[in-house]
Amino acid sequence: MPSALWLARAVMLAYAFGAVGALVSRGRAGRALGAAGALAGSLAVLCLGVLVLAGGTPLPLPSLVFPISGVLLRVDSLSAVFLLIIGLVGSAAAVYGYGYSAPAPGHPVEPATGGGAGGPRPHPDPRAMGTLLNLLLATMTLQVLADNAFTFLFAWEAMSLATCLFVLTDAADPEAVRAARWYLGMSHAGFAALVGLLLLLSGGDLTIPFEVVRQATLTAGVRDAVFLLAVFAFGTKAGLVPLHVWLPMAHPVAPSQASALMSAVVLKMGIYGLLRIVVDLMHGGPAWWGGVLLGAGALSAVFGILYALLESDLKRLLAFSSIENIGIIWMAIGAGLIFLSYGLLLPASVAFAGALYHALNHAAFKGLLFMGAGAVQRSTGTRNMERLGGLIGTMPWTAGLFLIGAAAVAALPPLNGFASEWLIFQALLEGFRIPQPSTALLMPIAVGILALASGLTAACFVKAFGITFLAIPRSPAAERASEAPFSMRAGMALLAAACIALGLGPFVVVPRLSGALEAMGLTAPGPPSPPLVTRPLGIAGTTGQMSPVLLAAGLLGIVALVHIGLRLAGARAPVRRVDAWGCGRIRQTPRMQYTSAAFAEPLRRVFAELYRPTDDLTVHVHPASEYFVQSIEYHAAVSPWIDRLIYRPMLGLLTRIAGRVRAMQGGSLHLYLLYLCVALLVALLASRWLG
Amino acid sequence: MRLFAQLSALGSSAMLLLALIPLWRHTVRAYARAFTWQSLTLAGLTALTAYFSGDAELYAVAALLLGLKVVVIPRLLARMDRRFGSEIQPYLNATTSVLTAGVLVLFAYIVAEPLLLASRLPTRGGIPLALGLIFVSLLIIVSRKRALTQVIGFLMLENGIALLAVLAAYGVPLVVEIGVFMDALMGFLVMQIFVYQIHETFESLDVEQLSRLKD
Amino acid sequence: MTATAWLAAVQTLLAVGLAPGLAGVVRRLKARLQGRIGPPIGQPYRELRKLLQKEPLVAHHASWLFRATPFIVFATTVAVAALVPLLAVGLPIYAVGDLIVVVYLLLAGTFFLALAGLDPGSPFGGMGASREMTIAALAEPVIGVAIFALALTADSTNLGRIAARMLAHPATAVSPGHLLAFAALFIVTLAETGRLPVDNPSTHLELTMIHEAMLLEYSGRYLALLEWAADIKLFVFFALLANLFVPWGLAVTLTPLALAVALGALALKLGVLALALALLETRVAKLRLFRVPELLSVSFVLALLAVTASLLGR
Repeated sequence: MPSALWLARAVMLAYAFGAVGALVSRGRAGRALGAAGALAGSLAVLCLGVLVLAGGTPLPLPSLVFPISGVLLRVDSLSAVFLLIIGLVGSAAAVYGYGYSAPAPGHPVEPATGGGAGGPRPHPDPRAMGTLLNLLLATMTLQVLADNAFTFLFAWEAMSLATCLFVLTDAADPEAVRAARWYLGMSHAGFAALVGLLLLLSGGDLTIPFEVVRQATLTAGVRDAVFLLAVFAFGTKAGLVPLHVWLPMAHPVAPSQASALMSAVVLKMGIYGLLRIVVDLMHGGPAWWGGVLLGAGALSAVFGILYALLESDLKRLLAFSSIENIGIIWMAIGAGLIFLSYGLLLPASVAFAGALYHALNHAAFKGLLFMGAGAVQRSTGTRNMERLGGLIGTMPWTAGLFLIGAAAVAALPPLNGFASEWLIFQALLEGFRIPQPSTALLMPIAVGILALASGLTAACFVKAFGITFLAIPRSPAAERASEAPFSMRAGMALLAAACIALGLGPFVVVPRLSGALEAMGLTAPGPPSPPLVTRPLGIAGTTGQMSPVLLAAGLLGIVALVHIGLRLAGARAPVRRVDAWGCGRIRQTPRMQYTSAAFAEPLRRVFAELYRPTDDLTVHVHPASEYFVQSIEYHAAVSPWIDRLIYRPMLGLLTRIAGRVRAMQGGSLHLYLLYLCVALLVALLASRWLG
Repeated sequence: MRLFAQLSALGSSAMLLLALIPLWRHTVRAYARAFTWQSLTLAGLTALTAYFSGDAELYAVAALLLGLKVVVIPRLLARMDRRFGSEIQPYLNATTSVLTAGVLVLFAYIVAEPLLLASRLPTRGGIPLALGLIFVSLLIIVSRKRALTQVIGFLMLENGIALLAVLAAYGVPLVVEIGVFMDALMGFLVMQIFVYQIHETFESLDVEQLSRLKD
Repeated sequence: MTATAWLAAVQTLLAVGLAPGLAGVVRRLKARLQGRIGPPIGQPYRELRKLLQKEPLVAHHASWLFRATPFIVFATTVAVAALVPLLAVGLPIYAVGDLIVVVYLLLAGTFFLALAGLDPGSPFGGMGASREMTIAALAEPVIGVAIFALALTADSTNLGRIAARMLAHPATAVSPGHLLAFAALFIVTLAETGRLPVDNPSTHLELTMIHEAMLLEYSGRYLALLEWAADIKLFVFFALLANLFVPWGLAVTLTPLALAVALGALALKLGVLALALALLETRVAKLRLFRVPELLSVSFVLALLAVTASLLGR
């Protein structure tokens, strides 16, 4: 298939063109060149992904694609799924970014509270944004094409750096600097783990192709070590609780097309790495591996969405929701590994298909939601929901598109979030086939946690959409908001269309995913492919069936029938506009509305044991009588105690160690030369003994 | 025999469910009523086992259970309740205690798993439930503050042990059974004396007050 | 159209048509138990007719979403009614959506209703939305685990197949796992359909409302659609409880006689459940909002025990 090779070359050329073009030209032309390069490259990536998924055969790409020696590239169906993700969100982000990086409509931006969105935003340099966008997309493409450890590491580090620069776009913001510092620290800890695991896996030679690694046999101890390192490395990248601390800091401060890419695509690289290393290269392992992933995923799912619920910064809310969705994907992978270890191939393949599908779907809806949040931020100057509201009137397109994204993330049928969660449910329901009862009992608990997370997601996104877009504007800025420019709407519309299409068409998508499962070595003996059975217009999981297309048709049909029925029944009196009911109050003001904090209050109280909130109520009374209250102050704060529990002691320890190490800094040149000599001698001795 | 297996599992789960009631109800009356129904179920199960195993002694045990735990002890409990009132603020809130109880029952299932695999008894379905009942009763004793509610927890524990005996060994010999009953009754009486004593000393039945004794 | 498709349509229309009647029966039974005469059973139909004729009033700040929501809620509820076996097992329509689809369709209705509660900017609507979503979120895991218990005994989440499997193995109906799952789902039914002790369907005080607070701004034909949808939801939950746990009477063969028997059995089972609900609502008082999680945690543990019992008692 030479066309795939040409496509791969076109991808890299387009991204290079976009990166350089954005850097050398100014103003509108620079924005256009950067966007054009990213769009062309992403479309080519998309085509490559579709081509390989349809063809189903793995394909080595001669290193001509990327002219550095030691780089080895190959594309198979597993890569193709992630190429789809990159291409889809990349092309939307390119189109969206063209409008987003244009100067914002000039109305005075009021200082906002919370979330560091304060002050008139110094506009980020569009040239840097264009270049970085192309670079980030190129490194991620390289990442999923990597076919040896060296290429994998190279792409990984380049991707982390590109992301970090995006976080630092607004370097004047102390919040951004702090986020970048955390991000760098965490991703390098992950990188160290990644180097370790790849060294262990490839027996020291980082340039051997993965095919050789796949055949290698390792002792059980080494395999366990590799697995744990992989959980750490990819958990850091994917934002798994408790390795997630950087995520809610970094994602909100980046420009919105970058936030969209980071949440929708960069996190998925952690998923890709996990699948590639643990399932493909190591063919799974004992049941406790799956248990670890299932537990970590469940923790992430619940904690992610619980913190999202309390958030009133729209982009931070979305970032926490990404943690939840990543958790769901890890749960599915964990369940898949458990099934695999018991030789239950059918439920395992349903679980992995669910994980891949959810990764794709999450990319579509979370990209859309971040772009919607960016549009809101751009036209109102704030992402604090307590100062928004009523935008459905002034930004109807953004509101409608955001609503599609919100319904998709809340897993409402027939949108895409539901399709993949349904598959994951189907896989978990098969848990009773596990012969060992104490392991089998994990599955109903996982079902409960997944259901709880999706219920809380629905509550969270009722809040996100309802407080931001509905009711009466809570600030003048929200009142004066104007609709986003066409290119931004086009970018969002692309992803909204993807949400609908992916939701209606699991019977097209899911069978194609079986190619990716085969690429991971999950082929059933006997009947051809894993029986992710297609039915006419529907899919069958392990225990049930559904058909989103028929469902959608039915829903539309019922709405139409009801409409006609009402007409026939004579119920067509015109609507009269009146004041909302208020028990006799005179005038309705925005301050009477439910706020974001008020909406989440019942759940905050129900889950108080998990949140550990600190409430502080001070009532100032008149000195003469305690019945005359002069003022009431109420402070409520929720500080993530996981962070406090783990990171504060660790940072303290690191600082202490760093203090010790500083003693070695003598400042004398001779001392440093001595260190060098000692290091050389030790290295030589070590190679003599170990080698 | 299949019918027997079904009924014994059903009875055991009913007993376990009745033990969950004290975890989220707040009055001693509700506790006492749950205990009465639980004992009635136990008596019924014992009679059932007597019928299916043809062991006449077990009928006597069932009758004894009926007299003591369904009639006598609930009356005593009601009298104590009338005297002392019944406000209870447990250490654990209702949601946490109910969820903990759920985990304990899962634990009981896991513990009993090898037993179930080895056993061919028709009543084996109920054994993990009986174990779960014992654990949940312990939870009640540990998490309640009032002496009176702890007494009911103790009585439920005793029911759990009796249930386990009936299911696992078709009841222990009558002599042992009577001994255990006497033991329980004595324990109950002793506790009753203590309860009166505590009430007289502290004007309250809150066991937390006892921690003042060490000063 | 084939006979099965016709039957599916008839089933759906039956649910839509009988739902207000079921609500009327519950109201009537409750009134009788409380020593009142109560409104006639046909009263809900008359109310719907009246509401349909009335002029709808919409708050100034309400958007298009507010006016679209009644249609969305009604459509999702009717779609659910179409997926639930009322008269016969083994219809092809059950393959369009399984038990999980049913649950998430209902969640979709709740989602949009909560948004509509927030839309007019009235504090009561926001309060109702917040409370409704809290309860819906907490009920979700109970439903999930109860589904696991059902799927485990039937080896399927297809509603028709669950009922069919139960018909084929009647002994499983009295197994502890089954009874526990029934109890769990009954509690969830109370929470999801806004009945006592979770929510009071006949309250007139805004501050105690949950479901009604979201409907506060609705009037005319929009209110009619939402009230009707709420009735259908109650009907659907009752039908699920009746036909998944006690499926006897459901037609296995599509003969007129079998269908007539199925209709009679359905009426009987719904009547028993309505009586149980009326008795319960007469005896218990509304719980404080923050005691509702306790109730739901009890039902979660019931569901978990149901799964455990079925999983390990095999």
